[in-house]
Amino acid sequence: MLAPTQNLVVELRGVAFSYGDKRVLNGVDLEISYGEAIAIMGRSGAGKTTILKIIAGLLKPEKGVIRILGCDPSNKCFDSVRGRIAYIPQTLGLVEGGSAIYNVLLARAYEKPLRFITGIWGKEYISKALEALEAVGLLEKARVRVERLSGGERQRVAIARAIFQGAPVILADEPVSNLDLETARDVVELLTGLRKRGATIVAVMHDRDLAQRHFDRVYILEGGVLRVLS
Amino acid sequence: MRIIVAFLIPTAILAYILGLIDPGLWAKAGLNILNISRFIPLLGVRNDLWGDTLTAVYETLIISVFGVSSGVLIAYLLAPLASPLLAPRTIAIAGRILANSARTVPAILWAILFVILVGPGAKAGALALAIYTSTYLAKFFYEALESVDRELLDSLKAMGLRGYTLAFALYTHIRRQIISSVLFMLEYNVRTASILGFVGAGGVGYYILQYLDILDYQAVLTFVIAAIAIVAAIDTTSYTLRTRI
Repeated sequence: MLAPTQNLVVELRGVAFSYGDKRVLNGVDLEISYGEAIAIMGRSGAGKTTILKIIAGLLKPEKGVIRILGCDPSNKCFDSVRGRIAYIPQTLGLVEGGSAIYNVLLARAYEKPLRFITGIWGKEYISKALEALEAVGLLEKARVRVERLSGGERQRVAIARAIFQGAPVILADEPVSNLDLETARDVVELLTGLRKRGATIVAVMHDRDLAQRHFDRVYILEGGVLRVLS
Repeated sequence: MRIIVAFLIPTAILAYILGLIDPGLWAKAGLNILNISRFIPLLGVRNDLWGDTLTAVYETLIISVFGVSSGVLIAYLLAPLASPLLAPRTIAIAGRILANSARTVPAILWAILFVILVGPGAKAGALALAIYTSTYLAKFFYEALESVDRELLDSLKAMGLRGYTLAFALYTHIRRQIISSVLFMLEYNVRTASILGFVGAGGVGYYILQYLDILDYQAVLTFVIAAIAIVAAIDTTSYTLRTRI
């Protein structure tokens, strides 16, 4: 039995998961502490996204022990963890038709549903959302619809959303896969820089150099298990 | 070419079954056209009725727009309840059965029901179209909600969004489909509202029926022209709006 460990944000022990008959994860172990940034690499279809979705509580594994912020996603206590996880999928999960600030504010829709539905957020929330956009250098584009932003800018909106959310866990699936080298470096710096705000970052990466340079640890997922690359 | 053949074969078979491939039938139809042509000298418009025509057009528009606006409100709330992605499975199944079964009832039957419930006039037509529109739009909306990219859904769910909060975020994402289906229903409602008067539910149709009863064909034609004009105007406006979204 796994003892609750206060400074561990993500704990996976012996996690197994299959899609139909195809076993993709076969005993994944992973421990991540507060303020760490780790990268997961591996071939396409290896199960990297599956790990992120299991941490986000979106997929339930067949076997293994999971604790996210000290709570098993299948337990009632996970209700309090929801809303504290920022999951940035490959397609970014931005709501088109909404402006950059709309997408940032969306992160608090969970706790303030009425404000979200009416669109009346109040000065405090708006100024905090603008601060988050300023932190990623998008203050001037706050009112621009996300589909009119470039790939790098959209990625920054997703990061601003995680900042505004104050999420202690940020999961990013291939955050730089469609970006040019320079923009990719900027985005990774921004993302891993969130450690200073106390966030724990788990990112799926393809660029080994970028991963090794900016992340605390780099894992490789092979044969359904994780091993430390560096 | 395959598509043409695929549709040509059932068309030919069914035309034969329906008795449409019969030279005698078409000869008779030709003679009937001559009969109809005897009406032509009787036709014309009644210039003294343009005032009433405007009232009828106004009533038709009110019925149609009320049907759409109230239908959108009901559908907005109903669609998430009919989607298993957003509501518990049992509620979603019940919601879907409710919306689908209500949709099988044609607007004209709803109009008859509301004429009985609230009496004849525009209010019966407006309520009939409100119910009809809401069930149709609920289907459009829940199908559009379910077609949303799964990754977007995962991302919003991971942030804790559930139920209506999640649905309203997704509505923003699918706003183009929403606007398109709302405009489609507006066109449909204007066309339908023009005939709801046949059962006493107000609008242009009500006037057409009154004048048909007394065989005043010039008055009938005046209101038919008004009905065609209003449908054409709404179709054009809707097309223009659709190309801008």
